[in-house]
Amino acid sequence: MVLARSTRLAATLFVAALLLVAHVMIFFVAPREVTMGDVQRIVYLHVSVAWCGLAGCLTMGLTGAAFLLRRTLRWDHWSQAAAEIGWLCTTLTLATGSLWAHEAWNTWWTWEPRLTSSLVLWMLFAGCLLVRSSIDDPQRRARISAVLAVLTLADVPLVVMATRWFRGVHPVTPEMDPRMRMVLLVSVLSYTALFAALIIVRRRQLEYAAEVTAEEHHRGIVTAAS
Amino acid sequence: MTLLLDSVRAWCWLLHKDLLREWRAPRGWSGMLLLAVVLAALIEMQLELPRELKRGLVAGLFWLAAFFAGTLALERSFAAERECGCWSALLLYPVAPGTIFLAKLTANFLALCLVDAVLVAAFTIFSDVPLLTRPAAFAGILLLANLGFASVGTLLGALTSGIQQRGSLLVLLLLPLVSPVILSAAQATRLLLADSPGDWQRWAQLLAVFAVVFVSLGTLVFEFLTED
Amino acid sequence: MLRLARFDAPPETDAAPLSVRGLSCALSGRTILRDVSLTITAGEAVAILGANGSGKTTLLKCLTGRLRPNAGEVRWFDRPAHRTPSARHSIGFAGHDVALYPELTARENLVFAARMHGLPDPDRIADEALRRVGLERHAGQFAGRLSRGMQQRVAIARAVIHAPPIVILDEPFTSLDADGRQWLEDWLNGQRIRNRTLVWTSHDDAQTRRLATRQLELHNGDLIDLAHPLPANRRRCA
Repeated sequence: MVLARSTRLAATLFVAALLLVAHVMIFFVAPREVTMGDVQRIVYLHVSVAWCGLAGCLTMGLTGAAFLLRRTLRWDHWSQAAAEIGWLCTTLTLATGSLWAHEAWNTWWTWEPRLTSSLVLWMLFAGCLLVRSSIDDPQRRARISAVLAVLTLADVPLVVMATRWFRGVHPVTPEMDPRMRMVLLVSVLSYTALFAALIIVRRRQLEYAAEVTAEEHHRGIVTAAS
Repeated sequence: MTLLLDSVRAWCWLLHKDLLREWRAPRGWSGMLLLAVVLAALIEMQLELPRELKRGLVAGLFWLAAFFAGTLALERSFAAERECGCWSALLLYPVAPGTIFLAKLTANFLALCLVDAVLVAAFTIFSDVPLLTRPAAFAGILLLANLGFASVGTLLGALTSGIQQRGSLLVLLLLPLVSPVILSAAQATRLLLADSPGDWQRWAQLLAVFAVVFVSLGTLVFEFLTED
Repeated sequence: MLRLARFDAPPETDAAPLSVRGLSCALSGRTILRDVSLTITAGEAVAILGANGSGKTTLLKCLTGRLRPNAGEVRWFDRPAHRTPSARHSIGFAGHDVALYPELTARENLVFAARMHGLPDPDRIADEALRRVGLERHAGQFAGRLSRGMQQRVAIARAVIHAPPIVILDEPFTSLDADGRQWLEDWLNGQRIRNRTLVWTSHDDAQTRRLATRQLELHNGDLIDLAHPLPANRRRCA
C-alpha cells in the first residue's frame, strides 16, 4: 500500500495533532488526583501503551495466521512490524507501571496482575523477535515466526486469567471522574493512531528492504551469468 | 473410520519407536532424571525452615524444578531425530503431520510424568513435606500440567530444532508460554498441601483449558513446522 | 491440519510419474532454481548432474514434496506433490545421509518403515527387503554399527519397501567403495528392468552416461538437457 506523499503528510499531521490534543488534555484538562497528585497523570500513558501492546499482539497473531494461509511475505512484514512496535509499547508499559508503583506503593515492582501479565507479554514479544533474528531465509523465518505468533496469541488470554486469579484480583472498572475518563479515552485513541502509523511505516520499511535485497541478489545472478 | 484406525496405528508405532530408542540409548531421559534429583537436593539445601512454612514454598519450587528438568527431554525429542538425519525421512512417510505431533507429544508427556515421579520422591524425602496428602487430586494436577507443558514443549521443540541456538531459545520461549501452567499447577499444589484444599478445582480447570487449546492448536499448526 | 493419511495406490493412469512446471526456489535470498520444467515418463532413469551448491538437493527436496517452491509445482501422476500425505506412497527416497535410526537394528528400521506405509505383515516384508539387498545375515545388527555401504543398502531397501513407482536418490554413490558402487550400479540396472522410474543426482558424468536414459545438469538455477546442449544458447528441458 503506497500512499501518495500528500496523504502521508496529512496522516502524520493528523496523528501529531491528536497526540498534542491528548497531552494538552492530560496536563491541563484532567483534574488533579486527590491521593497521588500530578504523578497520577502517568496512568493515561500507561493504559494507552498497555492497550497498544495488546493490540500489537493481536495484530502479530492474526497477520501471522494470514501468512500461513496465503504465504505472501507482505503478511510477514505486517507481523514483524506489529511484533516490534508491540514490544516497544510493552516496554513502555512496564516502565510507566514501575514509575506508578514506586509513587503509589514505594516499590519499583509489584506482582499486581496487570503488570505481571504485561511482563509475560514482554517476554513473549522478545522471544518472537529473538527467533526472527536467528533465521536468515525470509520464507522460513516468516513461517516459523508466524507459528510462534499464533501460539503467543492463544497464550495471552490464559496468561491474563492465570495472573488475575493468582493475585485474587477480579477485574473492576475503577471509579473515575468523568473528565478523567474522557481524557483517558482521548489518550488511548491518540496512542492507537500513533501505533497504527508506526506499524504502517515500519511495514513499508521492511517491504522496501526486502525489495532492495531481492534486487541485489538478482544483479548478482545477472553479473555472474553474463 | 479406516483413516482414523490407520492414524492410530501410525501413532502407536511412532511412539513405540521413540520409547525403544530412549530405552536402548537413554541420552535425554537419564540426564533429565538426574537433573531432577540434583535440583530437588539443591533447593532443599537452601530451605532451612520448619515444615509448616516450607509447604507453600515447596509447591512452587517443585514445579520450577519439573519445568527445568522436563525441558531437557523436550529439547532432545527433535534433536535426536535431526542428528541421525531421520527427521526428513520421517516426513516422507504417508503419515499426517498431526499424527507425528501427537506421537511426539505422548512420548514427551510420558517423560514429564517420569520426571514428576522422581521429583515427588525426592522432594518428599529431602523436604519432609507430604506431597501425596491428597494423591488422586495431585495426580490429576500432574497429568493436566504435563499435558499442557508437553504440548507447547513439543511444538517449540520442533520450531527451534532447525535453529542453531536451539537450546537456549527453547527455554526462553517455553517459560513465558507455559507460565499459566506453572502458576496454576503451583497454586493447585499449594492448596492441596494446605489443611483445607480450597478452590483447587478452579486451577485444574485452567490447566485443562490450556491443555485442550494447545493440543488442538498443535495438531493444526504442526504441519507448518515440518517444511524445510 | 489434521489430515488423516491412507494408503493410495498410484493411479492407473497414463499421466507422467513426475512432472514439474515453472519451478522456482530461492533460499536466503539466493535463487537456487529458476523456472525449471521437466517431465519424466515411466521407466526413465534420469541422472541430474551439477557442481556442489548447484541446487541438486534443493531440486530433489521439491520433487519429493519436502520443500515448497516459491513458484511452480510438482506433480506425481498428475496429483500435486506438496503436502499430500497419502500420495507419498508413490515416492521412495534415499538421501546421502542414510537416515537410519542407529539404536534400531537393520530389520527394525525396515519394519518401522513398512508399518509407516501401512503394509500388511511388515516383519516378512522387512526380511524379504533385506534378502534382496543381500543383508539378511546382518538383520540383527544395530544400524549405527553397520558399514557405510551396508547402511546405504538398508536405506535403499527402505526406499523401495513399499514398491513405489518412483525412486529418488540423492548422491547415492557418495562414500561408497568400489564394491558398493558396483552393487548400486547393478541395483539401478535391475530397477530399470522392473520399469521403475528413477531419478538420482551425481557428480560422475561417465557413470551416469552408462546408467541413465537421460542426463540433466543444473547450472546457475537452470536445468539443461545434456543430450541437446547448444554451444551458444543452451536449451532448457521440456
